[in-house]
Amino acid sequence: MSAKNAVLGLVIERPGYGYDLARRLQDRFGSSGFAPTGVYSALDQLRSEALVRSAGSRAGATNERAAPRTIYEATPKGIDHFEEWMLGCSSLAPVRDELYMKIALSKPHNLSRLIELAQAQEEDCLARLAGLRRPATRSRGGPRAWSEVAVLLVRDAEIKQLQARVEWLQKARAIMDKLNGAHAQGAARGDRVA
Amino acid sequence: MSAQARLSLERVSKSYWRGPHETAVLKEISLSVYAGECVAVWGQRGSGKTTLLKVAAGLEAPESGVVSFKGRDLRRMSRAELVRLLRGEIGWARRTGPESDELEMLDYVALPLLKQQTLRRARRRSAAALARVGVTDCSKGRWEDLTDGERTLVSIAHAMVRQPSLLVVDDPTANLDVLQREEVMGLLRSTAEHDWLGVLITVPDMPSMVHAHRIGSLSDGRLLVPSGASPERDNVVEFPGRGRAAPG
Repeated sequence: MSAKNAVLGLVIERPGYGYDLARRLQDRFGSSGFAPTGVYSALDQLRSEALVRSAGSRAGATNERAAPRTIYEATPKGIDHFEEWMLGCSSLAPVRDELYMKIALSKPHNLSRLIELAQAQEEDCLARLAGLRRPATRSRGGPRAWSEVAVLLVRDAEIKQLQARVEWLQKARAIMDKLNGAHAQGAARGDRVA
Repeated sequence: MSAQARLSLERVSKSYWRGPHETAVLKEISLSVYAGECVAVWGQRGSGKTTLLKVAAGLEAPESGVVSFKGRDLRRMSRAELVRLLRGEIGWARRTGPESDELEMLDYVALPLLKQQTLRRARRRSAAALARVGVTDCSKGRWEDLTDGERTLVSIAHAMVRQPSLLVVDDPTANLDVLQREEVMGLLRSTAEHDWLGVLITVPDMPSMVHAHRIGSLSDGRLLVPSGASPERDNVVEFPGRGRAAPG
């Protein structure tokens, strides 16, 4: 999924320049995997399709000689496009993963390395979780704004995906550990293994 | 001078025997909890989370390794000292509720104080503890009338009423929806920061860990911490004058 519609949605909420939008994208979508640089290519694409346009510029905050920052706003066509996207179907993201492919195509002698890779991915998942910005703490009582609830729901979904990943990695690692031990014993006895 | 950990586990191992088979539940776990921080350990069912908490809270002794509370090795404590520690310094929030269905929550939360204090004074502190966790309106309620979220909060008040140095909670967000979970976890974090105590929780749900200052994952008896962080305190920064606080 490209960042195009996400960036367009943020621009409709409030016009902004590239860095500002990258920061808001990170705040809103956390670990969704949108690279900050993806904002700039998304803005290029949106501009070429006339879905956003320049709404003026703002001087660089830290250096007066720095190039002014272009502020983007949505065009009427952009707003229509976003509304259509909001009403359209949402397909399930395809599961394509390099580690899955490696496991599917591996041989028993690859097990040791695959176990290491699985552990490294597990650590990465934890690091990603530890790096997430926590939602603002609020006092008890009173209804929450929908925008706040929406952010929590999306964050929840993302973290649950990380959790599912870690659970699978742990189970896969346990099985690979067991088979690797058996493989090593078999190899020591001179058994023929595929 | 570095701050002393409220709780410290050094290379702690623990096994259980099931018939003739020995199962290692904790394998050389090292973990510290400092005042002002909430540490969350995630693990799948059967990963040893509850055993970790029991060992950390001095309820079970490890086979090897050292468990210290404020620098004191629990193995070197007399039984009386250990009982005093468990009653006074470590609060374990249990969601089992009172034994009597008739007990109002104000009295339930006051119960741990009744040996040392008058009923009136204990109730005053109970009311303050219930207010601290935001469930004053449950004071006159009975356990069976409470929602899951309220039960969790009342249990935390019950564990906090003695003003312990360490709060231990097993799965504080069980059966809670995302909004209730945010409230409970936000409360545990702010309790650690504002009441200056160490909080150690175990959770089966990763979203609950977002509010913790430090996190770890328990798998196959071993504690895994995020890349770049140690199970000690590397990712917690020290603020001058105040002791400690976590970034973010």
